[in-house]
Amino acid sequence: MIRDRTWGSRLTDIGLLVILITITLTCVLPIWYTLVLSLSSNSAAASGQVWLWPVGFNLNAYTQILKDTQFFGSFWISVQRVALGAALNFVVVLLMAYPLSRTSRQFRARGILMWILVFCMLFNGGLIPLYLTVKQLGMLNSIWALVLVGGAQTLVFNVILTVNFFRNLPKELDEAALVDGAGPWYSLIKIYLPLAVPVLATITLFSIVYHWNEFLYGLIFMTREQYYPLQTYIQQMVVSVDPSTMSEDQYRRLSELSNRTLDAAKIFVAMLPVMIVYPFLQRYFIHGITLGSVKE
Amino acid sequence: MRIKGFDKHYYLMLLPGYLWLIVFSIIPMFGIAISFQYFNPGKGIFGSDWAGLEHFRYMFVLKDTREVFVNTLIIAVLKIVTNLVVPLVFALMLNELRQMILKRWIQTVVYLPHFLSWVILGGIVLDIFSYNGPINQLGALLGFKPVLFFAQAELFPWLVVGSDVWKEFGFNTIIYLAALTGINPALYEAAGMDGAGRWRSLWHITLPGIQTTVVLLAVLSLGNVLNAGFDQIFNLYNPLVYSTGDIIDTWVYRTGLLNLQYELATAVGLLKSVIGFILISISYYLAYRLINYRIF
Amino acid sequence: MKRKVSMTGMVLLSAALMLGACGSPEKSAEPAAGEAAAPNSEPADPYGRYDEPTTISIGMQVDPTDKDLPAGDTPLDNQYTRQVKEALNVQVEHAFTASAANMRQKISLAIASNDLPDALVVNAVELRQMVAAGQLADLTEVYNRYASPEIKDIIEKTNGVALKSVTFDGKMYAIPGVQADADGIHIMWIRQDWLDKLGLEPPKSMEELETVARAFVEKDPDGNGSADTIGISGPQSGDGKMYANFLESKNNLYGFDPVFSAYGSFPGFWLDNGGSPVYGSIQPETKEALAGLRDLYAKGLIDPEMAVRAASDEPIINGKSGIFFAPWWMGYGPLTNAVKNNAKADWQAYALPLNADGAFQPHAATPSTEFVVVRKDYGHPEIPMKMLNNLFKNEMENTFDPSKGGPGFYPLRVVFAPSDEIEFTNKAVKEVLAGTKTKEDFADARSYKLLPSDLDSIKTIKQEPYDKWNIETWTPDADWGAWTRAYSMMVGGNPLVETEMEKVKSLIYEQTPLMESRWVNLKKMEDEMFLKIVMGVAPIDSFDQFVEDWKRQGGEQITKEVAEALQ
Repeated sequence: MIRDRTWGSRLTDIGLLVILITITLTCVLPIWYTLVLSLSSNSAAASGQVWLWPVGFNLNAYTQILKDTQFFGSFWISVQRVALGAALNFVVVLLMAYPLSRTSRQFRARGILMWILVFCMLFNGGLIPLYLTVKQLGMLNSIWALVLVGGAQTLVFNVILTVNFFRNLPKELDEAALVDGAGPWYSLIKIYLPLAVPVLATITLFSIVYHWNEFLYGLIFMTREQYYPLQTYIQQMVVSVDPSTMSEDQYRRLSELSNRTLDAAKIFVAMLPVMIVYPFLQRYFIHGITLGSVKE
Repeated sequence: MRIKGFDKHYYLMLLPGYLWLIVFSIIPMFGIAISFQYFNPGKGIFGSDWAGLEHFRYMFVLKDTREVFVNTLIIAVLKIVTNLVVPLVFALMLNELRQMILKRWIQTVVYLPHFLSWVILGGIVLDIFSYNGPINQLGALLGFKPVLFFAQAELFPWLVVGSDVWKEFGFNTIIYLAALTGINPALYEAAGMDGAGRWRSLWHITLPGIQTTVVLLAVLSLGNVLNAGFDQIFNLYNPLVYSTGDIIDTWVYRTGLLNLQYELATAVGLLKSVIGFILISISYYLAYRLINYRIF
Repeated sequence: MKRKVSMTGMVLLSAALMLGACGSPEKSAEPAAGEAAAPNSEPADPYGRYDEPTTISIGMQVDPTDKDLPAGDTPLDNQYTRQVKEALNVQVEHAFTASAANMRQKISLAIASNDLPDALVVNAVELRQMVAAGQLADLTEVYNRYASPEIKDIIEKTNGVALKSVTFDGKMYAIPGVQADADGIHIMWIRQDWLDKLGLEPPKSMEELETVARAFVEKDPDGNGSADTIGISGPQSGDGKMYANFLESKNNLYGFDPVFSAYGSFPGFWLDNGGSPVYGSIQPETKEALAGLRDLYAKGLIDPEMAVRAASDEPIINGKSGIFFAPWWMGYGPLTNAVKNNAKADWQAYALPLNADGAFQPHAATPSTEFVVVRKDYGHPEIPMKMLNNLFKNEMENTFDPSKGGPGFYPLRVVFAPSDEIEFTNKAVKEVLAGTKTKEDFADARSYKLLPSDLDSIKTIKQEPYDKWNIETWTPDADWGAWTRAYSMMVGGNPLVETEMEKVKSLIYEQTPLMESRWVNLKKMEDEMFLKIVMGVAPIDSFDQFVEDWKRQGGEQITKEVAEALQ
C-alpha cells in the first residue's frame, strides 16, 4: 500500500493511534480493576475507595482461595467438562459435517437432515422435560449431563459452520478422491481432516469457551454443590438473596460470608485459564471463522 | 454425482450426532405439550387435562407478553446493528495502522472480553457503573451528579447493547479484517497512482471489497432477532428495569421455574421458537436470493 | 433411508413411554411400619427410636461458602445428623441441596418433575401447588399421634391460624412452623449516637423523620469531613421489597413498612372495608404514602441507591447509614458486624414513626410461613414429625453447640416459637436483672426453649445500669453469640413490650385459586410501578392508572374470590 505522507496524513495516523489505544484500554481496564480489587483490603473495597491501584495491598483473598476445597473441586469439574465436551464435539461435528457437506445430488437426504438440525436449534420444550430426560438417564450429578446437554445445544451451530467450510473447499478434491477409488471414510480422514484444521480449531475453541462459561445447567442438573462447575459456583456466590425467605440464623451466616475482595479474586482466577489459552489458538480460528462463513 | 453404497456410510457417520440430538433435543420437545394443558405435575405430561388454547389466549391479553416481545426485539435489533457497524469501523481503523506489531497486539487484546462469561462480566459491569463506581467518580470530577445507571429503565437497553458491543466487537473485527486482507493490493496501488487519497480509496475500493461480507453477516444475524441474550440480561437486570429490559428468555425462566406457571412459560417459549423458525427460513431465502449463498 | 425412519420412530416411541413412566410415581414405597399402617388415633411415642436403621431423603438449604462447621463435619455428617441417628436411628440423606438463592428453583424443579425427596421444607405457594398436584401425604394422623406436647401447644396457641394454613379439605398436608409474632412487626432502627451528637430526638412523626434524616445526610454525623452518609436505608436489588405483603408477611429488611403505616396505608395486605375485602395497595392512603416517600427520595434523604444496591446491609455495617426499618432480630442481621466494625455504633430501636393520631399501627404477620411436607407414599411419614420433636426437645435441653454449626444444619428444621417469645423473654430478663425473679421462677415455661440459657448468660454481656440499653452498657466481646441474641431480644424487643399497638392483620395470608395464575403478574406490575413512583421515574398520578390496570387485569375478580373465601 503506497500512500503519500503528508502532514495531514500523519495527523490522521496519530489520531487513529490514540483512538485505537483508548478503545483497547477499555477492554483491559475492567479486568485490571478486578485484579486490583482482589488485592485490596476488604474494608477499602466495600466502601468503594479502590480504583486503579490496590488500597491496603494484601494477598489474603488468594490464600483463602487456596484453602477453599470447593473452589478447586469446581475448577476441576470445569476442566473435565471442557476436555470431554470439546473432544466429543470435535469428533461428532467432523463426522456429521462431512456427509452433510455433500451436494444434494451426492446425498439425497441432506436437505431434510439439515432442516432437522435447524429445528433442533430453535425448538425446545423448556427445562422441565430436559430435567426429566436427564434424570431418567441417571445422569443427575454426572458430568455427562453438563457435557451432553450443553453440547447438544451448540452442536448444530458448529456443524453448520463446518459444513460451510467443507463446501468451500475446491471441488477437485472430491473428484481426485473418486478417481483414486477412495471411499467416504478414506476421504474424510485422509483428505478433509488435514484441511479442516482451522475450522476444527475454531469449533473447539467455541466449545471450550461455551463449556467453561455456561452456568445454568450446573444449577439445574447438579443436586449438590460439590458437583457444581466453576461458573455455577461463582454465580450463586454473587447473587443477592431475599431475607424474608430465610430464618434469622441463615441470614446471619449469609451476611458474614459477603466478601468483595474474595469474590473478585475468585472471578479473576476463573478468568485465567481462558486468558491463557485463547492467544495460542487464535492463529487457527481466524481462518476457521472466515473460511466457514465467507464465500470467496 | 451419487455413488451407490456411499449413503450407508454417510448414515453411519451421522448416527452418533443424530442420536445425541434425539435424546437431548427432540425427546424433551414433548414438554411443548405443557402449553396446551392444565399441567399437573403429579399426573405428568401424559396424564394432565387438556386446556386447548387457553394459555395462548391469556398470553395475548397479558401486558407482560407484549412488553417482553417488544423489549426482546428492540434489544436484539440494536445489538445486531451495532455489532455490524462498530466492528466494521474498528476494523477499518485498524487496517490503516502501519505498526504491524501494535496492530496484532490490539487485535488480540480487544477480543479478550469475548471469552469471558456474563456471570463474571455482569459483576464487573455492575461494579463499574455503581453509585460509587469508577464511572460516577469520573463524572464527579467533571462536575456531574452521580447517576444510578442500572436503575434507569430508559438507559438499560443502551447499557445492555453497549456492554454487549464492548464484549463482542473485537471478535467480529476478526471477520472483517480477514475480508480486508482478501482485497487485492494492486487496486490500492492503482488508486494511489491516480492520486486518490485515503478517503477515496476507502470509499471506492475497501468498502465495495467487503460488501458481500457485510450483507452476509447481516442476513445471518436475522435468526437472532429474538435472542437478546439471556446470560447477559439475567446477570444485569433488576425489577426497576423490567419494563425495558425483561426479555422473553428471562421472563420464561422466571415465570416457569421461579413462579411455577409452567404452562404460560412454555406457551411463550413456543411462540418464540415458531417466530425464530420463520425468521431463519426468511434469512435462508434472502441469503440465497441476494448473494446466492446457501446458509446450510 | 426407510430403515432409518422406522428406527427414529422406535426411539421416539420408547421416549414417549419413558416420559409417560415418570408421570406416575414409580418409587416403590418402603413397607410401612406396622404401627403407622392401621388408622388409629392412639398417641404414640413422639421420640420413639426405630429398631431398624431407617433412612429419609430430604432437600436442604446449604451454602457452599459457609464455613461454620468444624473441620471434618459436612452438611450430611455433623452434630445434628449424628444426634438424629443416635436418638431416632434415622439416617438423613440429601436428595438435593442448594444455596438460599437457588433453593426455590430447585424445589420448583422437584415439584414440576414429580421427583420429590421424602420430606422437604416449603413455602405457602409451593405447598398449595403440591397439594393441588396430589403429591403430598396426609399428615393429620401423624400430627395427632406424634407431635410432642410442646409443639402442639405452640401450634394450637395460634388460634387455629397455623393449622388452617396447612388444612385442605379437612386434611393436614404439612406441619406448619410457627414463628414469633414479633417477626412481623417492623420497627425503626436508628443511630442513637448520631442523634445525641446532633442534639436530636428520635423522630415521632413523618415531619420529624424528615428533619432527622436531613441532619444525618447533611451534618456529617460520622465526622469524617465528607458528605457520604445515608439518611434512610432502602430495599436492596434482587428481591428487596418496600413492604411485606400478605404472602411474605414478615422479616422484610430495609423496607418502609412503618412509613406506610404512619400514613394509614397497608400495601400488599387484604383489609376489611366495612365487611368486604379490599386490597391495601390500591387505597388512596397508599398513594399518599408513596408521595411522601417520593418526596424523601427526591430530597436525597433515602438511600439514592435503593433497589439497585446489591446489599443494603453494607452501608449499615460500614457506619454510613443512620436509619433503617426491620424486625426485632437485627443483632442477627447487620448489627453484629456493624458493632464489630465500630464498637460505638449505638443502634437503638423505636416503634416509630407514629400516624396522624399519634399511634403506632403496624401490620401483623401470619405465624406460619415455613412448612414441612412429606412425599405421598413415603413409608414413614411420621419421621419428620419425630425429627421436629427431637429438635425442639434438644433445643430446650441445650444439647447442641451453635459454634459447631448453626441450627440451620438440623435437617428439616423449621422454627417453633411461642407467639410471644420475644416479649416474654424480654420481660423475664428484665425481672432477673432487677433481681425480682430468678431463673428457677421460669422453670415451667418449657416452650420458651432458649430462656434458661438467655438468663444464664445475660450478666456476662450486659453491665449496669440495667435500665439503660445503649451500646456502652454492653460487653459483646465477652460472648458474641450470646450478645447477638440478647441485644436483639432487649433492644429490639423493648419497643414491642413498651408500646401499645393496634396490629393490622391481613384478611387472608394464602393464595386463592385464581391467584395461582394471575398474582405473579399483578404483583410484578405493582412492585415496578411503586418503585418507579418513589424513585421519581414515574409521575405520582400514574398510581391512578395502576389502580385501573390492576382491577382490569384480574384484580377485581381476585377481590371477589377473596370475599368468597372469607365467607
